Amino acid sequence: MIQVESLSVQYGAATALDGVSLSVRAGEKVALIGANGAGKSTLLNALSGIVAKKAGTIRIDGRWAHVPEGRQLFPELSVDDNLRLGAFRVSDRNPAWIYEILPELARLRRQRAGSLSGGQQQMVAIGRGLMARPDVLAIDEMSLGLAPIIVQQLAAQLMRLNSERGLALLLVEQSARLALSLCDRAYVLETGRVVAQGAAAELLDSPFVERAYLGGPLEASP
Amino acid sequence: MTRVQAGPWAVAILAGVAMAAATVLDESALSVYVLLALTASVTVGVTLLMGHAGQVSLGHGAFYAAGAYAAGLLAKHGFPSWIALLVAPIAAAGLAAAVGIPLLVLRGHHLAFATLALHLIFLSLISELSITGGDVGLQAIPPLSFAGVTLSSVRSYAYLSAGALVLVVVLARNLLVSRPGRALRALSSSEVAAASSGVAVGYYKLAVFALSAGFAGLAGGIYAFYMGYLAPGSFPVMLSIEYIVMAAVGGLGKVSGAVAGSALVFLLVHGLSRVSTLSGMPGTAPIILSYAVYAVLLVSAVLFLPGGLVALLLSRWERPSPRSQRPAPPPSEAKPSDPATEGVTSKHGSFS
Amino acid sequence: MNAFFSYLVHGISVGCGFALVASGIIIVYRVTRVVNLAQGMFSVVAGFAAATLLGVGLPHGVAELAAIATAALVGFLTGCVAIGKPGTNPQASLIATLGVGVFAYAVEVLTWGDQPRSFSGLSGSYDLWGIDVPKQYLLITLVTLVVFGALEAFFERTYAGKALSACASNPYAARLQGIGVVRMGLYGFALGGALGGVAGVLLTPVQPISYDSDVPLFVNGFASAILAGLKRPVLGLLGGLVLGIAESMVAGYAKASYQSSLALLLTLAILIVQATRREALHAVEE
Repeated sequence: MIQVESLSVQYGAATALDGVSLSVRAGEKVALIGANGAGKSTLLNALSGIVAKKAGTIRIDGRWAHVPEGRQLFPELSVDDNLRLGAFRVSDRNPAWIYEILPELARLRRQRAGSLSGGQQQMVAIGRGLMARPDVLAIDEMSLGLAPIIVQQLAAQLMRLNSERGLALLLVEQSARLALSLCDRAYVLETGRVVAQGAAAELLDSPFVERAYLGGPLEASP
Repeated sequence: MTRVQAGPWAVAILAGVAMAAATVLDESALSVYVLLALTASVTVGVTLLMGHAGQVSLGHGAFYAAGAYAAGLLAKHGFPSWIALLVAPIAAAGLAAAVGIPLLVLRGHHLAFATLALHLIFLSLISELSITGGDVGLQAIPPLSFAGVTLSSVRSYAYLSAGALVLVVVLARNLLVSRPGRALRALSSSEVAAASSGVAVGYYKLAVFALSAGFAGLAGGIYAFYMGYLAPGSFPVMLSIEYIVMAAVGGLGKVSGAVAGSALVFLLVHGLSRVSTLSGMPGTAPIILSYAVYAVLLVSAVLFLPGGLVALLLSRWERPSPRSQRPAPPPSEAKPSDPATEGVTSKHGSFS
Repeated sequence: MNAFFSYLVHGISVGCGFALVASGIIIVYRVTRVVNLAQGMFSVVAGFAAATLLGVGLPHGVAELAAIATAALVGFLTGCVAIGKPGTNPQASLIATLGVGVFAYAVEVLTWGDQPRSFSGLSGSYDLWGIDVPKQYLLITLVTLVVFGALEAFFERTYAGKALSACASNPYAARLQGIGVVRMGLYGFALGGALGGVAGVLLTPVQPISYDSDVPLFVNGFASAILAGLKRPVLGLLGGLVLGIAESMVAGYAKASYQSSLALLLTLAILIVQATRREALHAVEE
């Protein structure tokens, strides 16, 4: 579905990505974890065609949608308008099915997107991404600034979408624990390079990931 | 854009060439020379403003006019002409400081508009006030005289304006290599960064604004004595735009570029208007050609040669240096909050 | 009292012209973040074009529409220069639009000469409740209202209008949805051109234009746009009317030559107050 080979991206003199290879297969849930500035968002931007690549190949079979970091809605437009604009690339612009999946949005449909809470905005952002009928949905830092319970709800929705509709997910997260617990496979990005990859469960157990990203050895689960 | 200017020997060469030209050229060439030197003096100020303080000034002609009128008015009201000439840059700088305090709160295009408004309001004022002679302007301004020597020949004004240009260039260069100057250059790449490192941003912006106005005022003062008469029609808005074209062609922020750009554009336009006044050409040919030249040069410079002509020429002469001046992905495309792009310098900094 | 009403009527129609120019400026600014210094030029080109087309025998209505279409095309080309090259920052685009405006001077003088031109609009006037209202003024006001109604409907009700607003609101997110920001910017410029064109064909019968008429048009249009807060194009109508009426009153009761300075000073005052308030807000936030 998505095949990235040896991707390199430069920002002027700085190397943002260096020989990154990554894949997402149909229906898979893949996590991309790493610290701030590791290049995770750059990777997504490259996949979306926003930044130019210096080297490497990107192949995307099927439709791709990118839910950016920080929601990035159109604040003066209504929730309904934000959703409809997500369908710019496709022909069906009716958001009715989004309101079914995310009923809370139906209540908010006429409100200015800028006036919503963080969790609600994230929901709109995900809904907007879904409107493009993607086969792969990438979400950048979904949990940032959101209360854990909201994050749980959103995560549950995404899992349902994955199991019921076969929507592949690429979750980019600083919060490694969340991403690894939701996904099948994961890549760890550090200063533009993939330093670890494999099954999520294995990575959760790896001491290297533990120390760097999980804040110390796992204690007995709460 | 923040490369240090050419060394002091460049200034010496400029002075030498300028004085030699003033000595050698004939009368008709000298009249072009005087105006060119005066224009270049103003352009140096404009390029400092645009290249380092990041302010587009669509109204620098107003300071040129202010200097001219100040000198002319004082001379006509009995003040010694050399005092009038000294007052000219001070008056212009004072005007700039006075309007700059409220105006420099504005940024980017708002400031650009404000400078245009400034020029228009100034023109409106001098056209209305009787003291400035209204639409007719000031006539019969006595020529410059100092210690019994009267400057009446074109050649004498050529020396004077060349001297003023050299003075302006020296002052501009000294500003840029001084501590405040380095602060200025920090300003041009990112106002936010400069402010957070303790640079008194507002103060420096005002200082550059006033200084560049002073340069224009000095040139204007000389102009008043050289021409002997002033009218609002001598200072149209187009004049301000000409300075911008010359600064852009020479490379914004480069003092040497300002001089080179002024010379290039001025002589080009002058040459073309000579051609276009030949018999057979319609009467409007001169304006058409000059507008077309200004426009093409301006757009080309701003879109394709941000370093200006000087950079282009230098790159041919020197060994090819790494030309990676502009960051690869346009900063406007990167997300504003993306920490990965923090290191990217952006000209957006001073243009929010 | 009659004088007051005749100033008012004059001010309203002049204000409509400002409003049309203002809406063009606002739209281009919102979609591209660029202040289009060539906006006044679109009106001048349309006015000249209409005069020429009417002169060769095209009927009223057709000539004006063709002139507006020409202005839209010129707007589009201006956009190509201003934002067509990827990586052009707003300051460079601003200067590029300045360059386009100056180039237009050359073209205008070449094509139409350097003397003012006009053409006849609707002649005669109506007597409305004892006030003498020239027909052309009425036309200007009516057309402006229709145009603004259409603009409002376009931005609030059509998908294309929303897409344009999206570009204005968040260009990055717009790109992610597949909305081509540069292409939208060009449409914005074309729309700005058309609006300027409407102003041009409406105002030229009332006030002959020459190649340098773009400066007062731009200054007044920008002032109106600033009064309207540079946000929704529709607010440009309010800003234009306020400014037009104010200037007309100044011209009528005080000195005509002060009216442009009034617009400028008013605009500057508002800009400075807004900027100072913003700075104070930032200072408080820190």
